Amino acid sequence: MSVRLNPNILPDLLTSIQESRGNLNTATQQLSSGRRVNQLSDDPSAAAQLVANHDQAAQDDQFLQNLSGLQSKFQVADSTMSSVVTLLTRAVSIGTEGANGTVSASDRQAIAGEVQGLLTQLVSLGNTSYQGAYLFAGTASTTQPFTLDPATQQVVYNGNGNSNAVALLNGASVKSNVPGSQLFQNASGNAMSALGDLYHALQTGNNIAGALSEVESALSEVSVQRVFYGNVLNQITSSENFLSQDKVNLSSQENTLVGVDPAVAATDLAQSQTAYQSDLAATGQILNLPSLLDFLVH
Amino acid sequence: MGNLTAGLNIALQSMLAEQGAIDTTSNNIANVNTPGYARQRVDLEETPPIQIGNITYGTGAQLKQVLSLRDSILDLRVNQETQQQGKLDSFLSSAQQIQALFNETSGTGLQSDLTAFFNSFSELSTNPSDLNLRQAVLTAGQNLASAFQQSSNSLANLQHSVDLSVTQSVNQINTLAQQIAVVNTQVAAAVSSGQNAGAFIDQRQQLINQLSSLVDVSEIDAGGGSLTLTTSNGAALVVGGQSFAWTTQADPTTALQHIYSQGSDITARISGGQLAGQLQVRDQEIPSLQGSLDTLAGDLSTAVNTQHQAGFDLSGAAGGNFFTAAPAGNVGAAASIQVAITDPSRIAASSDGSAGDNGNSNAILALQNQNFINGLTPIGAYAGLVFKIGNDVQSAQSNEAAGSQVLQQLQNLQGGVSGVDINEESANLIRFQNAYSASARVASVIDSLLQTTIDMVNP
Repeated sequence: MSVRLNPNILPDLLTSIQESRGNLNTATQQLSSGRRVNQLSDDPSAAAQLVANHDQAAQDDQFLQNLSGLQSKFQVADSTMSSVVTLLTRAVSIGTEGANGTVSASDRQAIAGEVQGLLTQLVSLGNTSYQGAYLFAGTASTTQPFTLDPATQQVVYNGNGNSNAVALLNGASVKSNVPGSQLFQNASGNAMSALGDLYHALQTGNNIAGALSEVESALSEVSVQRVFYGNVLNQITSSENFLSQDKVNLSSQENTLVGVDPAVAATDLAQSQTAYQSDLAATGQILNLPSLLDFLVH
Repeated sequence: MGNLTAGLNIALQSMLAEQGAIDTTSNNIANVNTPGYARQRVDLEETPPIQIGNITYGTGAQLKQVLSLRDSILDLRVNQETQQQGKLDSFLSSAQQIQALFNETSGTGLQSDLTAFFNSFSELSTNPSDLNLRQAVLTAGQNLASAFQQSSNSLANLQHSVDLSVTQSVNQINTLAQQIAVVNTQVAAAVSSGQNAGAFIDQRQQLINQLSSLVDVSEIDAGGGSLTLTTSNGAALVVGGQSFAWTTQADPTTALQHIYSQGSDITARISGGQLAGQLQVRDQEIPSLQGSLDTLAGDLSTAVNTQHQAGFDLSGAAGGNFFTAAPAGNVGAAASIQVAITDPSRIAASSDGSAGDNGNSNAILALQNQNFINGLTPIGAYAGLVFKIGNDVQSAQSNEAAGSQVLQQLQNLQGGVSGVDINEESANLIRFQNAYSASARVASVIDSLLQTTIDMVNP
């Protein structure tokens, strides 16, 4: 004797409809969201990796923003340095004029006056600030780095000799400032004291040549120091390229993790539609099957 | 040798028996869609023969009994599977709400605030004395703190609503146990008086199946048709005609409802049904997630505070706590975390006291990549939490899908035994109708024979 079947087939039919309806919903959701993973439970491990991926991408964005800020800051610093070079060149030029023995004392005084003006300008360039922070004060960025004593024409450095490092990707970092003491009061060439000395030499007429050579070595030192800005701007550009590439990689990784292949999704949708329709059609036919009662004639 | 009156009796008795069979068929057809109904079958039997001389005559047929067709082992297995499914279903419905709270695939969750917090220190390092950037750090810290609080509060709210469902489930269990106790008495009474208890057993099975979707039920045959129901861990539900109501009482420390049966706490001993799923979410899943969130929030705030204290603020003063100090053992850390400072100049970005130094800001930023939360980075620990939530739902879903197939197969087998088949009943109806008609025809023939006999003796 064969096993008696469950005469109530409705639950089986409904389950089958429900299942294909569920597949249809999933396919629609995947196609419309472009994502294979829409809930954590769709792929828990991809969802967890997505957290790290988004974290890294947002960090990259921040690094890029930092770099763009640093770039503007270094451009300001570099153009300040350019002004300093121009200024020192001018000092050398008029100093050479003043060193000429044929220049009258009163003309020398006039040149000394111009040198004094240049020194004041240099101090003011040394006190350049960017977004509220002094560029050349070391890490004492809220302290005005250079003050000029009007009586002695001596310049005092109030900043410190420290510099900051701004972190980049993977533990790399970029130096974000050069202390003013290193730029303008370097032992190999001290621009501040050189101009002061030139001023005094021109005033007194003593050792103008010595003072002039101080200014010349200060000029060459400033030019040497300025190379830093060129280098760091290059470093920033290459870091930006690296970060942009990293973002592209992260975005492609995200797509691999949770994205859906549109072609596959479209095929899935078409398949699940067909399955759903044929389930409905089959159920309709089965429910309309006649029973024995329909054939019993009185 | 037989006689005509006996033949007439046989025909009448047969008509009665077939009528009973037609009644039963009619009842089967009437109950074709009644949940829990088990089809009934009539047992016809020969009546005892009589011996006249050396000849044995049959005396016809009678309706012996009406039987309900059910397989009690199958019923038990259906109930057991129902308990398992009830547990998974109710666990899933809450766990899916939890995973929606942390749905990182749509950007919901803690990741963006956690990353933004460290990014704010990254940006601060480019210009540590800038008050706008300092304010941005405070804002990012506050956002992170409120994201922790919200996640923790949402979990607590969910726990509370599941707690209400626990009380409702216990009430439903009590109501069903009462109803089962009443029907249990009716079954026992029917059995002891030799009546057909099928209808009562159907009703009782249906109630036990409902009870099985709520809680794990173990059935013990108490004899005489009566059943004793307990949980699988032995907490009494129904004994004979008596039901044992469970009570709930709030735990003084957690304020969550505990379940008591006859004075003893059985909360941890519920292993099946909707109630077990609710308790699993309320007492295991949510507390475990809260614990992970607390560890993350607590360890993070402690590490940030320690580093913050090592630095100096804008005015050169030593740094204090950045976040409020984490509670002892991090208990409730996620719900209580707050930024401790309001003045942006109090952020200790400097490691040497000079206003523009970013050493300490860099050191706090570096925490982002340090494995100080159970051996993981903050984002790593959070990713682990996200994985656990998704994985718990996924494994419950696959168990549920597998279980529901098993349950459906069992129900199909059950339907094979107990389900009413209209075709079968139609065929039976014709069979019984024919037999009834034939018996009636026999009675009519005998009647005419009797008439002939009477006419013969009395012309």
